[in-house]
Amino acid sequence: MTFKEFLISRVQLFFFLVTLIFAVSMILGLIFTPEQELHYYQLIGPFLIAALCVLTTFVSYFRKEPSVWQLVLRHSIQLILIELVVVTQITPPVDGNPMVFRIILGAVVFAVYLLASLMLWLQKYIQSKKLTEQLKKLQQSNS
Amino acid sequence: MQTKITVVKPEIPEVLEIRCHRIGDEVREIIAFVKSRQGQFTGYSDDAQYEIAVGDIFYFESVDNKTFLYTESNVYEIKQKLYELEEMLAEKHFLRVSKSALLNLMKVSAIRPAFNSRFIAVLFSGEQVVITRKYVPALKQALKGDK
Repeated sequence: MTFKEFLISRVQLFFFLVTLIFAVSMILGLIFTPEQELHYYQLIGPFLIAALCVLTTFVSYFRKEPSVWQLVLRHSIQLILIELVVVTQITPPVDGNPMVFRIILGAVVFAVYLLASLMLWLQKYIQSKKLTEQLKKLQQSNS
Repeated sequence: MQTKITVVKPEIPEVLEIRCHRIGDEVREIIAFVKSRQGQFTGYSDDAQYEIAVGDIFYFESVDNKTFLYTESNVYEIKQKLYELEEMLAEKHFLRVSKSALLNLMKVSAIRPAFNSRFIAVLFSGEQVVITRKYVPALKQALKGDK
């Protein structure tokens, strides 16, 4: 993957994350602080967190092709960095247990990370299907 | 070895004649090159020599400075280098898919995603060849018909 392609995929990931963070914020908000009202300026939160999370994914960029273990290691570091960003950036509600909130938040981040990875895999699966279709056309036109 | 070229009239058939003291590796390489230009490769397996048509080749692989030719069920060693083959077969839908493999796109049944930004080419023989990420853009271009 060239750096340009990597940047494009990071922008895609950013929008995935923004959407998912909005959804997760809504679910957590309804569970922990259903009575709380938000101000417009608080809507910047998901964008800020998503941007910080995407920045951490630059850890996973390789100019040369990595081995499987290098990849697993880099992605693990990336996940830890994302967990750190989210857990330190989001303040627990005043009336709730901060530790429970952070544990749940950490688990949610993990789930979101898995879901985002699944989506990227799905994107690659669709790409491979498209390549196979193009290949069949090429073979038919030359048979 | 001296080189002598004689231009003949169109009605006289073209002939490549090699006059040598013995048939050594150098002569075999020249013969292999000429045959490959005509769509045929000379492969070696179990001390025997075989003629293989381009249409029967699934892929070429380079291992430890040796080049191997793979058909549906056989493997042969050939004299040419991978970069020479790449140049020679570019117009015949052969594409470099990794540092060590040159794939015949006409023998690929499907492309599957793989771990680590790679793809896997599943051949009609059931074999799988790795397409490394560096060569994915070239594959996309070739399948779009740009190459």
